[in-house]
Amino acid sequence: MVVVLVGAIIVIAAQILDQKLHYTSTDVVPGPIVPGTQYPDEAFTGIDVPQPIDFSHKIHAGDNEINCMFCHTYARRSKVSGIPPLSKCMGCHTVIATEKPEIQKLTAMWEKGESPQWNKVHDLPDFVHFTHQRHLKRFLFDNQELDVSDAKRVCSMCHGDIAEMTVAKKSRPLTMGFCIRCHEANEGPSDCTKCHK
Amino acid sequence: MNQSKLDRRQFLKGLGLGGAGVALAGCDLPSYVTLEQGEENVISYLAPNEYVIPGVGVWYASTCVGCSAGCGIHGRVREGRVLKLEGNPDSGVNMGRLCQMGQAALQHHFNPDRIANPMVRKNGALVEASWDEAIALINEKSKSGKAAWVTGTISGHQRVMAQTHLGAIGGSRHYAVEQINANVWKTACKDIINDPNPEIHLEKAKVIFSLGADFLGTFISPVHFAASYAEFRTPPRGTLIQAEPAMSLTGGNADHWVGIKPGSETALALGVANALMNNHGVAGNGISNATKTLINKHDPETVAGICAVPVGRIEKIAASLAANSPSLVLAGGSATGNANGYSAAAAALMLNQMLGNIGTTITAGRELAYPQLDLVEGNSANLKDLAIDANEGKIDVLFVSGANPLFLAPKSLKMLEGWNKVGFKVVLSSMLDETAEAADVVLPLASSLEDWGSHIPSYAKGTRNLALQQPLMEPVFPNTRGFGDVVLALAKDAGAPGLDDYDDYYGYLRSAISALKKTDSEKEWNGFLMAGQTQIPSLGRKLSYSDGKITPTMNDSDDGNLTLIASARMGMWDGRGANLPWLQESPDQISKVVWDSWAELHPKTAKSLGIKDGDYINIKSASGEVTTRAFIYKGIHPGAIAVPIGRGHSALGRYAKDNGVNPLSILNGASDSKTGEIATTATKVSVKSAGKNKQMAKLMEIDRQHGRKLVATISADKQRRTEGGA
Ligand code: SF4
Repeated sequence: MVVVLVGAIIVIAAQILDQKLHYTSTDVVPGPIVPGTQYPDEAFTGIDVPQPIDFSHKIHAGDNEINCMFCHTYARRSKVSGIPPLSKCMGCHTVIATEKPEIQKLTAMWEKGESPQWNKVHDLPDFVHFTHQRHLKRFLFDNQELDVSDAKRVCSMCHGDIAEMTVAKKSRPLTMGFCIRCHEANEGPSDCTKCHK
Repeated sequence: MNQSKLDRRQFLKGLGLGGAGVALAGCDLPSYVTLEQGEENVISYLAPNEYVIPGVGVWYASTCVGCSAGCGIHGRVREGRVLKLEGNPDSGVNMGRLCQMGQAALQHHFNPDRIANPMVRKNGALVEASWDEAIALINEKSKSGKAAWVTGTISGHQRVMAQTHLGAIGGSRHYAVEQINANVWKTACKDIINDPNPEIHLEKAKVIFSLGADFLGTFISPVHFAASYAEFRTPPRGTLIQAEPAMSLTGGNADHWVGIKPGSETALALGVANALMNNHGVAGNGISNATKTLINKHDPETVAGICAVPVGRIEKIAASLAANSPSLVLAGGSATGNANGYSAAAAALMLNQMLGNIGTTITAGRELAYPQLDLVEGNSANLKDLAIDANEGKIDVLFVSGANPLFLAPKSLKMLEGWNKVGFKVVLSSMLDETAEAADVVLPLASSLEDWGSHIPSYAKGTRNLALQQPLMEPVFPNTRGFGDVVLALAKDAGAPGLDDYDDYYGYLRSAISALKKTDSEKEWNGFLMAGQTQIPSLGRKLSYSDGKITPTMNDSDDGNLTLIASARMGMWDGRGANLPWLQESPDQISKVVWDSWAELHPKTAKSLGIKDGDYINIKSASGEVTTRAFIYKGIHPGAIAVPIGRGHSALGRYAKDNGVNPLSILNGASDSKTGEIATTATKVSVKSAGKNKQMAKLMEIDRQHGRKLVATISADKQRRTEGGA
């Protein structure tokens, strides 16, 4: 009994500590706005996750304005957005920026026939069924007020302003409360079984 | 098993408090607990095929090898892994359906107890070795004496391959061992109606009278028959009468379940025939005079005494068969599982002849134009032969795959003694079962979802197909090899002619099927693979009828002991399902017990023995003893005790080992006088309480509704009136 009580207290305390550590003030609104939607305005301070290649989202999506879906090509067709296949990287980088050390790392992997082992930044538990496809349809393709070339605004709803980051860092809480508040504001489904299949 | 300090009550309390904590914290906070950052890897593709989309499954066709029915499957493959199996709608065997064992093939494939590397016996113990070492050892030893192969039911090109290898090493005998089979029925059909595998049309029958044939669970092609059964049950709804000593899944679905005395099925069939001839004017065309004399001797009163079935019930069965034509009479399972099983099958066919069912609900099947590809159907007579031949020193080198003789053989057969006399034993297997554990060389096989193969389904309606099996993903254990690949290599090493052109079994299979189909176009080959099957030529058979030998003798005396019924169930099957947690966890269709064996006892018998539900009981035959818990219910004859087969392994893996008991081990060695099938319902046992009781883990505690109308029922008569039909 005592063990159980102490356990419960530890769990609750850890969760409160978790909130103190990771939530920044709730009025911060990072990332561009998506027209025609109620925007989730919660931020989260994720940890730095090192990656095998210091990939810069800023150079690609920010400075060069490459559409997020050019590389994350599966997002509109599948539940996962997918990491681009190495062949796609090499499509450009056999000629572009070949002198940079990070690109040389990439080329060496390609020549060896190995894929980088990226570390997962945004992870949902296995009992949550989230689909990128459905969210892109709702907020991008069916959204008359937003041009498809501006996809990154939609991505930023959950991923923050990735176009300003090098490797990605979690900047939204992605908790169930976060999902639910956005679903309520934008009249998304509220059935338990929509996400917990 | 270790008893955890945390019992159920404490666990629930903890869960309640933990839940309260989560509720206090709301939906926002478990981020610390569950939302990881940087913990898992995502590995991108190098250069994927165009159609590959992560998160979206692609379905590939293949064939289930869970039993010899050979159902077509579709496997959903995502990110290179097979995640779900479904039935292939284009397969004439299962028409899109799949049984629980087919579904659970995934857990065989991903099983943590699969053998990862070859093993050879050194100083008495199996130790890991390289493929080269293992194969070299086999090549050295395999021509050193009389060689033999043991398989389960085997067909298609795997059969050709195994027999080619056997020929090349100078062996002669191929034992096909299968505990659950329809050998007695098929032998009777071959002798009596001239077709071992006739088409059985449940859907055309108005009444089915089944002597123990569990066609929804274990008889020939259960998924196929379940579909025909569904058709049979659509209005105008057919009536099912099932006579068996212990209720099977099919018995549980019957309108009339007749709990017959074990071994008296032949007499019941004769009693029904008697009532048909005397009360309903059935002439009995084609029935010989000798058989008619036998029928005359079996009036319902006499039969009632033999079978412990009331006279009225026998007359009702006859009346129902006489009034509803066409009907269908089947025999299998417990009816054919005794020393007189052939007679029961012969009597069932005799009833079909009398009722004019031959040609209507039983029609001619088709024979393959390439008999070398046809099934070698396994049976338990071969198991017995294997034990005898091994004991007599007739085998020096043995290759085993797809069968587990050391688990299946009753102790009375002395299989282990025989096994130990065989000089050199090679087992090709994906799991370390009882047989593999006792081998000299173990070669690790790919799972059924990683391998190539071609199969002839054990039952087919209309045209005949070759069912194709293809790998659905890369091997989970990289050092395993396909059955065909291993045997092809062994056959080549042994100098079998004509195989030099083939580097692997895929190459062999593809060229053999191209030759069969007279096309080597890539497109057509892909078409076969996408369909999971391809049609092959067959010839029609023709049915005739000549009486079989019916001897209704009961070869057991009423010595006060109970008759043990080693019953077969879809799920554990003959034991191959025991290491798959999904199957252990699925409640038994009748008792609802999970994760353990049990012994079914009639309440009357239990009372007279002083046994209560959940009591541990010793079940003792002349050749051994098992101890399991009693499950008391009315779906069994009072003179019988039923223990399902499949559990009680001493090997096979962590989920199977030391779980439950194996009733096959204590069978007395009796067998069917005609086919040699090991009798599973002819062993007398004494039963006594072991003095312990523990509640059984089962889904449903009581079998009564206590007037609560949880399941609404109406009488069959009323149902017939309200839903149409006769
Ligand atoms: S009946 Fe046999 S072949 Fe068909 S799905 Fe079940 S185990 Fe597989």
